[in-house]
Amino acid sequence: MPAETMIQCEALTKRFGHFTAVDHVSFSVGKGSIFGFLGPNGSGKSTVIRMLCGLLEPSDGQGRIAGFDVARQTEEIKPLIGYMSQKFSLYDELTVHENLSFYGRLYGLKGAALKQRYDELVALTHIEPYIGRRAGLLSGGWRQRLAMACSLMHHPTVLFLDEPTAGIDPVARRELWDLLFEFSSKGMTLFVTTHYMDEAERCSHVGYIHMSKLVVCGEPDDLKQLPVVNPPGTKRIDVTCDHVTTGLQVVRRLPGVRTATVFGQSMHLLVDEKMSEGFIRDELAKNKIPQADIRPIAPSLEDVFVALTATGNNGGPK
Amino acid sequence: MRTPFRGFTAILYKEFLVVLRDPLTLFFMLFPPIVEMIAFGYALDTDVKHMATLVFDEDRTEESRSLVKQFENTQTFKIVGEVQSVTELAAAIRKGKAYVGIQIPPGFTRNLRAGRTAKVQVLIDGSNSSIAASALNTSLNVGFRNGLLTLTERFGLRELPVEVRPQILYNPEMRSPNFFVPGVIGIVLQIATVFATAMSLVRERERGTLEQLLVSPLSRWGLMLGKLAPYLIISMVMAVGLFAIMRYLFHVPIAGDLGALAAATFFYIFTLLSLGLLISTRATNQIQALQMTMITILPSVFFSGFIFPRETMPDIFYAISTVLPATYYIELERALVLRGASLADFWFNLVLLAAMGLALFSLCALRFKKKIA
Repeated sequence: MPAETMIQCEALTKRFGHFTAVDHVSFSVGKGSIFGFLGPNGSGKSTVIRMLCGLLEPSDGQGRIAGFDVARQTEEIKPLIGYMSQKFSLYDELTVHENLSFYGRLYGLKGAALKQRYDELVALTHIEPYIGRRAGLLSGGWRQRLAMACSLMHHPTVLFLDEPTAGIDPVARRELWDLLFEFSSKGMTLFVTTHYMDEAERCSHVGYIHMSKLVVCGEPDDLKQLPVVNPPGTKRIDVTCDHVTTGLQVVRRLPGVRTATVFGQSMHLLVDEKMSEGFIRDELAKNKIPQADIRPIAPSLEDVFVALTATGNNGGPK
Repeated sequence: MRTPFRGFTAILYKEFLVVLRDPLTLFFMLFPPIVEMIAFGYALDTDVKHMATLVFDEDRTEESRSLVKQFENTQTFKIVGEVQSVTELAAAIRKGKAYVGIQIPPGFTRNLRAGRTAKVQVLIDGSNSSIAASALNTSLNVGFRNGLLTLTERFGLRELPVEVRPQILYNPEMRSPNFFVPGVIGIVLQIATVFATAMSLVRERERGTLEQLLVSPLSRWGLMLGKLAPYLIISMVMAVGLFAIMRYLFHVPIAGDLGALAAATFFYIFTLLSLGLLISTRATNQIQALQMTMITILPSVFFSGFIFPRETMPDIFYAISTVLPATYYIELERALVLRGASLADFWFNLVLLAAMGLALFSLCALRFKKKIA
């Protein structure tokens, strides 16, 4: 069932002088989905968000939010979108209560409607104990919650979150994602930039931007099936052993091993399909790394992005 | 919802909270103007009185002592001591121990009585020209008056043949605070107000909150008015305080209509706050905003007629003075405070101030881009 398209980019481009920050980026996001936008620092993630929020004029191409053109119909778009910037833009000298009231009023809420929405968001974010505290004195996790509550005061249908979990503790991170799923289930469209691969895995759709270009875009499971990620005649295996760094040197020298990367206490290998597990185990044992545990694995999103960045391949299901 | 001032009340609510929440900012907005006002007011007192004066009296008669007394009675000179030689007198002036030296040669009384010219020498330190001019005039006056009185006596006249009776209007004691302090208010208001709004948008830009405002349906007119209004109220309160200081500390009476003064001050402050906002839309950080604010202040100090009369300025400076709000405000203020002029005589200044304010304010709103970078 194709959902109604809420965010659409057609060859969206932003140039700053001679530098192209966003180069012909095209994708679309359906209503109620959580779109994870990934890419290294400086790859153009924030620039895309800023163009979609009407903060930056696109140099070329088109962006649409709920059918409205981001360059020409900015004022129609503004009531529809919520934006939580990287810095959690709050007024530090105002209390939690005052920040919420201010953002509500800014969007024209007043009286009973303001009070009702305020109560809803206080309940949703559990920020009640800190209601009288100045925003500047909140910890990172609570600042993030407050910033999110502020960006939700006006019932946006599309919410942009620019690295909402940067610098936040794991518990707050998980709680934020629980909230995002809740919003998504109620039909809100979420556009989230992140550095965390585990967060990307939880998104319904992901896009990966590298050097100003969108490298790939689609559902995580589809992306993992891409031929470039799984070249014919290969398989992915996980090798768990002692001294992984030494092990990495060993396996990288073996014929038939295409790529090898350390993942914590284990290595992820892309090897020829006919390569036997026994061969790898023996070679490791020769180098004083006995009892390696080897099992087949599916590619992770990280494998997808690494493979795509390495080949410079554009494409994938849209 | 889609009014031109959309979001104004929200910004107003927030600005008031921010200003009141931060007592330090409020303090730095209100306190320096008061200090500046008092400091300026006293420092710009150019009334020359009680200048240190030394006497070298070689005559030592009743007449010579009477002459010294006449000098002292003018209030311009204060006899601080006697010396015993001209060298000593000159040395004392060179060392800065006295501004003026009076030398009465021997035979002063003898000459006077014999009907010959009785000479008196007055040495004046010319390094400060305005003080020297005052000392020169006063000492010449003492001489003339003394001479005339001697002549009338000699010819048996009862009164002087001609007497000029000047009457000083509006500032009968010719106190310099009456002239300077109203001007000081104009300048001090400019320093405090332009600075306040110049910082406000820049601070939001630096902190990233401006971006948050720009994604909201807030209109630029709403943003500008919301930013300006709280400072307009605070500045009006400050102005009341400054006029109170003028009235009760410097004893400058307010001759004119208080309502007219309030209206003039309102439009003046509105203009200055709009100027600050304009700076704030152009500057990218607080340091830049501060520098731009400083640039607007100096011409007002020198060219507005605050200290130097505009009429004697070179054309270029006169031209600059015609575009300064301070020029029109200080002129209007002096007319209202000192001369008790009615607004009917100076409506042009008031209309011009209001027009400048509205033009600057509109310029800010129109120039302000709801985009970043």
